[in-house]
Order: sequence, then structure tokens, then C-alpha cells
Amino acid sequence: MKINCQLVTRALTNFIKEESYKAGFERNIIGLSGGLDSTVCAYLAVRAVGPQNIFGLIMPFKDYDQEGVQLAEEICCLLGINFEKIDISPQVEAYFSGHPAEQPVLRGNKMARERMSILYDYSARLKAMILGTSNKSELLIGYGTIHGDLACGINPMGDLYKTQVRQLARYLGVPEKLLSRKPTAGLWPGQTDEDEIGFSYEELDKILFKLVDERLTPDEAIKTGLEEKKVRQVAELIRKSEYKRKMPPIAKLSERTVGHDFLYPYDWGK
Amino acid sequence: MKVAIAQISSILGRVDKNLDRHLELIEKAAREKADLVIFPELSLTGYSLQDLVPEVAIRPDCSEVMSRLLVASRNIDVVVGLVEERKENPGIFYNSAAYLSRGEIAHLHRKVFLPTSGLFEEGRFFASGREFRAFPAGSNRVGLLICRDFLHYSSSYCLLAGGAGLIIVISAAPGRGVLNEESQGFESSRNWELMGQAISYFSSAFVIYCNRVGLENGVTFAGGSFIYNPDGQLLFKAPYLEDDFSLREIDLDLIRKARKNRPYKRDDRPEVICYSLGRLLRKQDED
Repeated sequence: MKINCQLVTRALTNFIKEESYKAGFERNIIGLSGGLDSTVCAYLAVRAVGPQNIFGLIMPFKDYDQEGVQLAEEICCLLGINFEKIDISPQVEAYFSGHPAEQPVLRGNKMARERMSILYDYSARLKAMILGTSNKSELLIGYGTIHGDLACGINPMGDLYKTQVRQLARYLGVPEKLLSRKPTAGLWPGQTDEDEIGFSYEELDKILFKLVDERLTPDEAIKTGLEEKKVRQVAELIRKSEYKRKMPPIAKLSERTVGHDFLYPYDWGK
Repeated sequence: MKVAIAQISSILGRVDKNLDRHLELIEKAAREKADLVIFPELSLTGYSLQDLVPEVAIRPDCSEVMSRLLVASRNIDVVVGLVEERKENPGIFYNSAAYLSRGEIAHLHRKVFLPTSGLFEEGRFFASGREFRAFPAGSNRVGLLICRDFLHYSSSYCLLAGGAGLIIVISAAPGRGVLNEESQGFESSRNWELMGQAISYFSSAFVIYCNRVGLENGVTFAGGSFIYNPDGQLLFKAPYLEDDFSLREIDLDLIRKARKNRPYKRDDRPEVICYSLGRLLRKQDED
């Protein structure tokens, strides 16, 4: 599953530069968490369009991930990109004070959507295209908030598994302390992705690669030596989260319907 | 003979802007004394057209775009990619390649093998061509193929049987596969190179492959255009992923030399192939 980092970097920097330009943007904006995906995305973006054209938004909730915030600030300074820190606690707390919720998922989704809302506001203010940072592992198992962290203008990271993002991070020279951090969605203090998903990204990516890239059925994947319970669990996660990877279905009535048979390319006229 | 390969990107659905770029590069190639300039598949329109297909179609017999290209081809041969609609068959659209020479259309090839699986959906929007035919252009016999046509080796065989010494392949091949750490380009580029080497050698013909670059809807076109000579040797290789405009001199006498030394062409038996295929098809009908 090792990638050709030089080629991937070339393809992804071209992608960021060309797709942003075609959409009429000279600049890009990224929500930075201090985690690996957003950091790698920032490194790629700086290579693509230069640090002067990248803006970082760091959006902490209370003191849930102080280390992440500090690392995100360090990365911005290291890359020489402008950034702003916006505490999302007041608006999130204002909502939950009227509509209390204890479940971490509800609170986490709200935070992710608050961040999305700020990113889109800044995108319009700065005339900057939002770079999405969801990787292939997350996209495939649906580990993301719809209209939250899954929302973006373009996504350079979505065809790279988490373990491949890690490999690319080393190639791009991301600081070691970031590489050794446990991935976290910052849903509550001390939360880690791998605890929540139930297994490591190494295990997850191996299963996904067999099912998706090699197009094996779960039964065929199990025969290659992968753990049956985990393979079935991952296959089910993929199936159940398909809705997060699609535009919502539109009820078809006429001869020609948006989303069904009104078929124009995303880059129409560009 | 001097050949120019225009490894360019196109603006999706904007024939006007793409035509300007074509005319500019044709002029440049002519200025640099090229005899032939080649553009990629669907170079006038862009590739991922979907419902734009009817909107960007060109009627070669009466199109202003074609007239301007024909004027530009008075002193230099030109190969372009277009969406073609024929006068006698309105409402039917082909993914076509036109060979323009001395102000006339010397040949139109309509893509036969339309990829319709995975990320490809050509069969939803295009009609399929029905013939592979080598044709004369100046002192050469030329064959045109479009992208996937070339990956079916039977296509090139028809051109060999027709005596083509120059096989021109225009392409909009997306790059796929990044797991080879040694490669400069995408793994999928290997398909073309493998076929280019084999077909040039065993057809004793030049294979000129012109692929596009740029991005459409997140898909990167791989570039990596090339020329193999009739001995299966790589004569030219354009960079992967980058815009490129290169000129190369090709020695047409190599076709004669190769066919003299390795008489695959002389010993070819198209009647046996035709008989065998005919029998196979009749038998399939009976089954």
C-alpha cells in the first residue's frame, strides 16, 4: 500500500492549483486541528500555491485539545501562512444551554458544523477555496460529520488512506511530534479515533484496501487471512455510510431531473 | 518528416477558446517547419462532456470551426479530436479524430471502442465507429486510433493490414495507480507504453501517441506522449502530467528498412485472419 510520494505530491499540488483556479479562486483556506490530515493538506497547499495564498483557521472548543491547537499554530508559523484562532465555545454552548445534550456524538457533530459554518464564512470573506481534509479511510467508513468536516470546496486528501497520509507526511517533512500523535477527532478530551472505531488504522486500511481497491468480496478478503469479525464490520460500515458520500436523492418526476439525467461535468466551461 | 506533439489541456465545453489555442499551436508548428501537428483526443471540446456532447458537436461539412482549421492545415497536416455529427445522420454523435491535410479532410476516424465502465461513460453519450482504415497522406499511409482503440490490439492489426507506416493514437487517458515507487508517472501509463513498443516493432511502423494533460472533475490526465520507431525503440517521450509541445524528426525510411529486415508485413495473411474470424462469428451465431 506504499505510495509513490513524489508522484502523489505532484498530482495533488496540480489538483489544488488547477481546481481552485478554475473555480475562480487564487487562495485556499484550511481548518487546522493540529492533526495529521489537515497538516499534510497545508503542506501540499503551500507547495501548490505558496504560503501567501493559504489561510489557516484554528477553531478550538474550550480546552478539549490544547496540544492540537498549539501544534496547529506551530505549523502555521513553520509554513509561514497567515492564520486566525476562533474559539467556537460561545456559539456551541449557547445552543446546548437551550437544548442540552450529553451524547458526545451530538456535541461533536455540532462542533464540526460550527467549524464548517465559519470556514464557509471566511471562504466568502477572503475569496478562498476551502480545502477538505477527509482521508479515504474516514470517507469509506463514514467517520465524519455530514455537512461538518465532510464539507469542502475540493478535497485533495480523499483518495489517500490514513496510513498513506502518514507516509506522505514523512516525505513532506512534517515534524515528528505530529507524526507520533494519536489521531483524534477532538470530540472530548483524550478521545482517539482508533479507540472509537475499535481498531487501528493499519488494520482498517488493510481491510479497506482489499475490499475497495482490490474489489474482493468480504468472503474473499477473509480467505486472505484477515480477521472475519473486523472484515464484516468494515463492510457494514461502508454500506451504512454511503449516504454521506452522495448528494441527497431527488424525487424524480419529469423527463429530466437534477441528479438523475441532467448530467453536466463539475468543471463545465472551465 | 518533422512531427509536433501538442500535449495540452482543453477547456471543458469551450470550443471557441480551444480553437484559438489550436490555431496558435498549428501556427507555431508551421513556423518551426513541422510537417504534422497532433492534438489529443477531444482536444477541441475537453473529455468529460456528458450532456454537453450535442452542444459542442461539429458538422465537418459546414462548421465554421472546421473551416478555420482547414485553412490552417494548408501548409501543415493536423490531427485534432472532436465531437462529430454527420449531415446524413443527425443526432448521432461520434468521438472522432480528423486528419487534415492541404486544406481538406483526408480522413475521419470514429472511435470504435468506447470505454463504459468504472470512471468511463463514453457509451452513454457517443455512438461507436465501425471501421479501422489506413489512408494515404502525402507519401505516407497513416492510421488513426483514439485512446482505448489502441489497447485492443486488433485495431492496430487492421492498420497494419492496410499498410500503415504511421499509427497515430490520440488520447485522453487519466492517470491511475500510485503504488509503484519507482515510476515517474501513474501506473496506468504503462498500458500505453507496453502496447506502443510492441505494436511499433511488430507492425514495423511508427507509433505516435499524443495524450492530454490537465484535470477535469478531479481526474488527472497522465500526459507521457511518445514516439516509438519501427524497430520498437523509444524515439521521444514527453513528461508526465505537464503541458508540453515538442518537435521530432522521424526518418520514414526506417519503415522500409524494418519491413525488409523483419518481413511481418510481407508475410501477413489477412485473408486467413478474415476467414478465421468469419468462421468464428458464424459458429457463434449457430451456438
